[in-house]
Amino acid sequence: MSKGFASSSRMALLTLAVLACFLGIGVRLVFLHVVDRDELLRFVEKARRQIVVERSRRGAILDARGNLLATSRSFVTVGADPEMLQPADEARWPDLAHLLGMKPDELDRTLRRASAASKTALATLAENSGEKRIRWVKLAEDVDEGTFDQLIRLGVHGVYGQRSYKRVYPGGELAAHVLGYLNEEGVPVTGAERHLDLYLKGEDGWIESEKDGARRELAQFRSREVPAQNGDDVVLTIDSVIQHIIEDELRTIAAKFDPHFASIIVSDPQTGRILGLANYPTYNLNDYSRAPVAAQRNCAVTDIIEPGSTFKIVAVGGALDQGVVTPDSVFDCGNPLVVHNGKQLRLPKDDEALGELTVADIVAHSSNRGAAQLALLLGDDRFYDYARRYGFGSTTRYELGGEVRGILEPPSRWDGLTITRMPMGHSVAATPLQIHMAMSAVANGGTLLRPQIIREIRDPAGHVVRTFGPEKREQVLRPSTAALLAQLLTRVVTEGTAKGFDIPGFEVAGKTGTTQKLIDGKYVNNHHVASFVGFFPASRPQVVLSVIVDDAKVPGGGPAYGRAVSAPSFKHIAEQLIQYLDVMPVATPARGLVALNGGAR
Amino acid sequence: MKPPPANALVNQMVAHTLGLLVFGGSLGLGAVWVRQEIFSTANRNHQLELKIADAQRRLDELDAGIAAALNPQTLALRNGTMGLGLIAPRELQVVRVGESPELRLAAKRNQEIFTVQTASLNPEAPAGPAEAGTAAAPLSFRVLAAAYR
Repeated sequence: MSKGFASSSRMALLTLAVLACFLGIGVRLVFLHVVDRDELLRFVEKARRQIVVERSRRGAILDARGNLLATSRSFVTVGADPEMLQPADEARWPDLAHLLGMKPDELDRTLRRASAASKTALATLAENSGEKRIRWVKLAEDVDEGTFDQLIRLGVHGVYGQRSYKRVYPGGELAAHVLGYLNEEGVPVTGAERHLDLYLKGEDGWIESEKDGARRELAQFRSREVPAQNGDDVVLTIDSVIQHIIEDELRTIAAKFDPHFASIIVSDPQTGRILGLANYPTYNLNDYSRAPVAAQRNCAVTDIIEPGSTFKIVAVGGALDQGVVTPDSVFDCGNPLVVHNGKQLRLPKDDEALGELTVADIVAHSSNRGAAQLALLLGDDRFYDYARRYGFGSTTRYELGGEVRGILEPPSRWDGLTITRMPMGHSVAATPLQIHMAMSAVANGGTLLRPQIIREIRDPAGHVVRTFGPEKREQVLRPSTAALLAQLLTRVVTEGTAKGFDIPGFEVAGKTGTTQKLIDGKYVNNHHVASFVGFFPASRPQVVLSVIVDDAKVPGGGPAYGRAVSAPSFKHIAEQLIQYLDVMPVATPARGLVALNGGAR
Repeated sequence: MKPPPANALVNQMVAHTLGLLVFGGSLGLGAVWVRQEIFSTANRNHQLELKIADAQRRLDELDAGIAAALNPQTLALRNGTMGLGLIAPRELQVVRVGESPELRLAAKRNQEIFTVQTASLNPEAPAGPAEAGTAAAPLSFRVLAAAYR
């Protein structure tokens, strides 16, 4: 048996020492893990634990062709820590100023002043004067990633950036009233941003983890991780090009007539899809804080106007639908008096003496007396019923909110003259969108549709998760009546109040409207709402277009007639839409040898 | 038999203790190594996450830039500043083709390559390029002669 290599006393001593060490360690561990556990854990939690919120990315808003209308992107706020600035870097300050878009002198002054203040603060700090150290001086905001990369490559010590995500609208003013915006706090304020926030916003995630002394995450200590769910993308029915065309036209109208407001709406009559909706005044979504509140209003749904003669489609459509008249029925529009329910009623004036007119002529020449007689034939209740069926007096259920119902009083609240005045669009008020959708019902065979502004919702991977289809609200007219009325409306541009604004081959059907404005309870002669609402081609409508201009100032004075203010814009827009949407002509106009030669010129 | 000396027992204990220490140390080192691996893997993942986030950020910026550049208003302004003179077509400029565009273009091209001449018994009938769809006069015939230009 081995005798061993050490003396027993030394070995015993060593063993005791080792065991004592282990015992000491054990005791310390017991203290750390059992006795002082709660206190130490609290300290660790405070010093090292962190919960990092992982922001979800807000979904984009796209137009019908996939063009970005609103998206989120990062911007960097660049600043300097004066305590970290080094004299050796001063030679690179001019380059820094150039990258930040500042004058070198300005940057130099800012940094030197901050540096001096920082030194003073540090000195007074030593004397416990309560001065705060200066660790951040803002140099520039909204610096893009590319510029920030160049700035980092410059290697100026003490200059760094803080990233933040901002909502940007690449189109600026494009579809401003449809899109709405997010304010500085990231709160959606109006339009699609607000009303589709449920889809767009996504859900923030979070990571529970630990950090080191420099506040960097120690990824190996992540204990819980909930990934962020990015928001869905929303595809609107708006077409950027159509939107641009109508906004361009609104700029022309604004420059020419300086109106109080103006709205132009374009839609597909068969589906109710809004292809373009624009208002004047408007604003730049990227600079919303400078826009007056009036410019931010979506007048097409928030403002009501008396529809004027565009409302005559109610009386004419109703009378034709009920079979009480035919297009050839003749009415005496020269007689100012009629007897109704045993009472003699005075009919409204026409702009000019029109004499005897057929129903077709009443539409073409927009006879107030003719429309009143048609309404009298229908009677109060039936006329009111048709007005309601056309959607007047109730919201169109526009998906982006802010809509008002307009005014349509029931017959029980009418006075004796209302039945003669309402058919010409007085004693009733509607939003431009209501008027537009009413005309759309004539275009699509008599069906009142809900205006559709959302096309589909896509998840962040680009898969369609929800689609939105046409939504029928009411059958206003029989299809045959609607088709007949559409044909009558084509005469407005060929021989009626908007003569000369037809587009050969494309069967433009429409109705002008010129309404005196009601100011202080009186209809005045120098303030009007001019409108032209129509569609084309009448026999197979593809586009409904409304141009409504409130209080246009016509150069040289005089009434702002629909034919003078709105009809030219209607035609100009329609000509562009025909090309853009490739609307085929109903009857091809003669083109001579150009066509015969295969387009060779 | 003599009992083993006390020193030997102590020596055995020391040896076992040392062995235990080595074993424990190895376990400790192994644990440290595993933790280090976890740390470096977690860090690599973290770096990858940052890179993905950075790429996503740049992608968003690029998308926004492209969208701004393709905005109709911007394009219209560029059309003006670059003096391109691009305008939307007008209906009168448009020729709508009802038949197959390929056949039409082929016919147009062939018309340029070949000269087609006609002759007729009727001395009053004009000689010239044949026109599609022209009805032949009664009691007349046509001689088509094609010459390569």
